[in-house]
Amino acid sequence: MRESRLMLVQYATAVAAVALVSVHLIMQGVIYPYATAISFNNILSIYKNGFYAIFLEALLVVVLVHGFNGVRIILNELRQTKPWTAWVDAVTVLAIVVAVAYGTRTVILAVFGGGPV
Amino acid sequence: MTEVRLVVQRFDPFNDVKPRMTEYAVPKREGMTVLDALLYARDYLDHSIGLRFSCRQASCGSCGMKINGRPRLACYTQVAELGEERVVAQPMDNFAIIKDLVTDLESFFEKHREMMPHLIRADTQEMEKPSAEYLMKPEEMEKVLQFTYCIKCGLCTSSCPTVATDSKFPGPQALAQAYRYLTDPRDEGGEKRLELLDDAHGVWRCHFAGSCSFVCPKGVDPALGIQLLKRHVMSGKAPRKEGEGAKLWVAPAPASP
Repeated sequence: MRESRLMLVQYATAVAAVALVSVHLIMQGVIYPYATAISFNNILSIYKNGFYAIFLEALLVVVLVHGFNGVRIILNELRQTKPWTAWVDAVTVLAIVVAVAYGTRTVILAVFGGGPV
Repeated sequence: MTEVRLVVQRFDPFNDVKPRMTEYAVPKREGMTVLDALLYARDYLDHSIGLRFSCRQASCGSCGMKINGRPRLACYTQVAELGEERVVAQPMDNFAIIKDLVTDLESFFEKHREMMPHLIRADTQEMEKPSAEYLMKPEEMEKVLQFTYCIKCGLCTSSCPTVATDSKFPGPQALAQAYRYLTDPRDEGGEKRLELLDDAHGVWRCHFAGSCSFVCPKGVDPALGIQLLKRHVMSGKAPRKEGEGAKLWVAPAPASP
């Protein structure tokens, strides 16, 4: 993929992350009582809400893509050889796929069970 | 007579292990530039000081160096304006040292050349044997004018944090020139230029620190040029294609009597 497309993804995910994290913080700090916001049962009940589960999945993808792409940029500035760039690109894609898959697994488990509520 | 304490970083890569600082007492006079002080030290105190200079009027860009920690032209910096009795002269950062204050600008000029700093047009015969001038509106000229003031002194590149880490990054000088030719209404090589810039080590590695614009002695704003360049690269559309460049100026027919 051309670098300009990757940077467009980087800028778009930055804007999306600010919007999604803002909504997330408002939900956690205002709508749900702050004292119970991070209790296990409360979190599971949040995941039972299909809309919010999709919202959290979007947040997961956006933040991971933005974060790992940012690390790719930093690593590419460290060394400038073609093998290094290829290695960094491959590891970045792999890291995003693995991290998104693991996070999605958590979301799915929470939606369809995940322990007592 | 008051004196200025001139501290010069000395380093000969063939003989020295690490740089050392040498201090010289130079008689101060009104209007004295750092270059004047360095030349006095070289002429009367130590003939072995290595420095590069030519025009003495901020036109050639030869005497770029770090003065009191900031990249400046020695001929364009008066000792009095520094406001200190101690003037420290060091070679520019981000360049290999040839000797003392003389740095190797070869890679700098190579990156400048890579940006194809010339008009690219389909009418090559006209370019080689011009018959007339290409039309250019004043407002079009205004867009590129400040970037034509670049004297290739290397101060912007020496202050760039990305150049310090990424050796393939073209640097602010080269990128500002890329913008200058991309937006020139006479140029038709936009597609080639955009392809060159859209690289993992290209225009996107500028993080807009802005130090290049801060240190430019000619008032050029390379950081602005680079940000505007990003817009062109992101859209992927060249301002003009082959054959769409500025037309030749044709002299109007003389009015009939």
